[in-house]
Amino acid sequence: MENKKIEQKLRQEAKTLLQQRRVDYIIGYEMGSLKFTTTPLITKSENDTDRLVVNPFIVNNLSVYLTEVKGKVGIVVKGCDSRSIVSLIQDNKIAREALVIMGIPCPGLIDLKKVELLLGKDRDELDNITRDGDKVVIMVDGKESNFPATEVLFDNCLVCEFPTPQEYDVLLGEPTFPVGDITAGQAKIRQLKEMAPQQRWEFWKNEFSRCIRCYACRNVCPACFCQKCFVEESEPQWVLPTPKWQDNLLFQAIRNIHVAGRCTDCGECERVCPMNISLRSLTREMYEIVGELFQYKAGMDKNALPLLTAYESTEVEDFIR
Amino acid sequence: MRITDINQRERFLANGNVYLPHIVKIEKVVDETYDTRTFHFNFKDEKLKKEFTFQSGQFALCSIFGAGEAPFAISSSPTRRGHLECTVRQVGKLTNALHRLGIGAEIGFRGPYGNGFPMGFLQGKNLAFVAGGIGLSPLRSLIWNVIDNRDNYEKIDIIYGARSPADLCFKYDLDTWSKDKGINMVTTVDKGDESWTGRVGFVPQVLEQVAPSPSNAVAIVCGPPIMIRFTFPVLEKLGFPPEQMITTLEKRMKCGIGKCGRCNIGNIYVCRDGPVFTYAQIKSLVSSEY
Amino acid sequence: MINNKKINKRDIGNLLNEWSQEFTVFVPLRESGVAMLSKWDGKDTGFMDWHRNTVQPIKANFFPPMEEMFSFQKGKEGYHIELPSSDEHKQLIFGIRPCDARALIILDMTFKDLYEDPYYLPKRNNMVLIGLGCTNPYDSCFCTSLGINPGESADVDLMLTDMGDQFLIEEITEVGKELIAKASRVEEATEADEAEAREVKEASYNKVTRKIDTEGIKEKLLSCFEDQDFWEKVSTKCISCGICTFLCPTCYCFDINDELVRRQGTRFRSWDSCAFPVYTKMPMENPRLEKWRRVRQKVCHKFEFYPMNFDIIACVGCGRCIRQCLVNWDITQTLNSLPTRV
Repeated sequence: MENKKIEQKLRQEAKTLLQQRRVDYIIGYEMGSLKFTTTPLITKSENDTDRLVVNPFIVNNLSVYLTEVKGKVGIVVKGCDSRSIVSLIQDNKIAREALVIMGIPCPGLIDLKKVELLLGKDRDELDNITRDGDKVVIMVDGKESNFPATEVLFDNCLVCEFPTPQEYDVLLGEPTFPVGDITAGQAKIRQLKEMAPQQRWEFWKNEFSRCIRCYACRNVCPACFCQKCFVEESEPQWVLPTPKWQDNLLFQAIRNIHVAGRCTDCGECERVCPMNISLRSLTREMYEIVGELFQYKAGMDKNALPLLTAYESTEVEDFIR
Repeated sequence: MRITDINQRERFLANGNVYLPHIVKIEKVVDETYDTRTFHFNFKDEKLKKEFTFQSGQFALCSIFGAGEAPFAISSSPTRRGHLECTVRQVGKLTNALHRLGIGAEIGFRGPYGNGFPMGFLQGKNLAFVAGGIGLSPLRSLIWNVIDNRDNYEKIDIIYGARSPADLCFKYDLDTWSKDKGINMVTTVDKGDESWTGRVGFVPQVLEQVAPSPSNAVAIVCGPPIMIRFTFPVLEKLGFPPEQMITTLEKRMKCGIGKCGRCNIGNIYVCRDGPVFTYAQIKSLVSSEY
Repeated sequence: MINNKKINKRDIGNLLNEWSQEFTVFVPLRESGVAMLSKWDGKDTGFMDWHRNTVQPIKANFFPPMEEMFSFQKGKEGYHIELPSSDEHKQLIFGIRPCDARALIILDMTFKDLYEDPYYLPKRNNMVLIGLGCTNPYDSCFCTSLGINPGESADVDLMLTDMGDQFLIEEITEVGKELIAKASRVEEATEADEAEAREVKEASYNKVTRKIDTEGIKEKLLSCFEDQDFWEKVSTKCISCGICTFLCPTCYCFDINDELVRRQGTRFRSWDSCAFPVYTKMPMENPRLEKWRRVRQKVCHKFEFYPMNFDIIACVGCGRCIRQCLVNWDITQTLNSLPTRV
């Protein structure tokens, strides 16, 4: 019910922005062509704003379009997305003045893969999925089942610390609190940390043997904004374009190092991987390491210097021996 | 315009596998400019050395083992069979690796691929060659072919230009051709230097000044894509019908046999259905991505 | 009357074991949550309870994501090239869907055209396909619009129809006939079985609700090819990743690269995608730098250029591109909204 009101406000806001020529484009979500899917809506037309939606399936991180759309943009963001935008502003990829940010406090999004596992049915075999506070109600073949929301939300939503957008021009809805199920959200990573090094190596070798180098993870990531990715460099050839597991592993490791301090754990990389590789385990671990080593969290302050781009003479150098 | 004769295309397969290169040895290296070199090489296999033939305008995929494979036009003429020549400009990983090789080095060679110039169509005609920079390379194969069969062709005009005197390729050939009474050799540069006393001007403009007659003539054009796009309108203005304008196109290629998909323009593949096309054919292509 | 056979699902394990003597058997398995055709472990037949199509397409068995073309070594007398040892094992693919089987026919046209591909064809000519009709198509499937029936296939050796606890077996080719003739516990199908199978097939056909209009699509695309506004609008949300082309059963673009370690190395071929900006990059220019050109190339190659060359649309309606696209870019929406010049 809450969502419907937010939707109305969003549509009105977007329409007004276009009518008053305060933006050239609106980027938001509309209903997708498959059940329980949404798709990005990038439009210049006021009439299209009636298609904007807000529901538990607005998974895409829309800030990925900001580096290619020209002109002033009105963009719909959740907590994690707003931090990606701040990170891009810090890196001087976009100007704050070119944006009108419409923030949506996010109660967490539903992971269809988890739903499919729980029910043993695929997405298109379900009748309805609705979020009702801390419950999720799923209708299959006319029968209803209830699940605690923490069982079907994305892992990164469970550990999200900032579900209300950090940076916005308009906040549509009341600021919301983190779901805060850290144990469930970190289960996979804890499992990995408890493995012996050799076992962990075998695990990753196995994961990356499935990688086909489709670059979905890289392209969906707003932090990966390089015009020419290091994998496309041939002199020197850092990694082979061929999907050997060694090169796949190296590609992902280097990508994580490159986006350190810019990754906001939006979880898109793991969601989109067609081979179900546990990518978020790497990105989240990097996020934690950055927090520990530098007391830095991505995308919190648009005026702060980006990570690892500045040097203070008072910095601790105890890692240099 | 496609080679469909099985005998022709299967003759030079190594081990029956179309992707396997033959080994060739570099015999001579000629510096054309500061970034372009012509490599003279020959097959290690004696039988292939004697039997290999190709048509002017065809290309081959040369492998530098470890760096990769790339297409190069064969710039020597099929009438001079002692060795093969390819002219290579340094632009990236593979060509840089090739330029580091010297006499005696071995590279891979597979080909010839593509459709070649239509020799039958050119016979008995006046020929106007228009080339820019390293685009003279495939045309050179045709020019020497024509010179070696001189009685079969009428007037020859060659209009060749480069960015600067230092970028002119095949200077030794330009010299020979300018001394040939049966050839009208016009050389130009976009920008001269202190010692340049010749013509200055872009190739399409010089072409308009030289104004070869379109009657019973065929224009053969090769150069950077932008030069080709500006040359065609000039030829049209001079009265050349599109069927009598021929060019050879360049695209990024990997397999060279129409399978990897990347060199397509609409439904045709430049490697398989080209690289030689008439302007009439190009105009009828579904896509304008040439 | 064609006399079809049938087999109880309980006996499939046995049948596959018999066939394993001669072939390497591949079945649709879900490894780490990804459904793909994998080598059968010889025991588990639980895959029969799963009724959907794999994520990784069938082309991975004949045209793998990474394939060794040859190895080279620099010795004292120069370079020496060696072909990889050929895998003598014949493949038996159990449970291939009609859309994927048709995709192989489409791929064959390219790999046989002009020069025969020496890596794809030997594997393809040596394998046996056991087709399985779909009883539960996805909402993203649209095979029926492309002349493919989810319940029937003429592109396989044996065609199975799932009737609950038995399979109806139709012999399509001589190879299929031979396979089944030697098999144990295969019975003759009764009239009732045939009737039930017909019902199952009709139900499957009607379950495919997504449709596209392929009437005159070649001409429609030809007429709107230069419509930059349309293609820019259509391609705005694409993020050029390559998933659609990698998971498409009829996409075949590949890249060739060398790996060198000291004096020896290997030449590989690997999957490539026209969606990548560097796909057509040349030193001095890139004809497909803009995203809308790449999206246009993908749509037109499948529905205009391939039909111009081979008289068949290079799409089988499997819907993987729609299901897996990160932003839910839907090719059926694009095709159903082509601007038509009046």
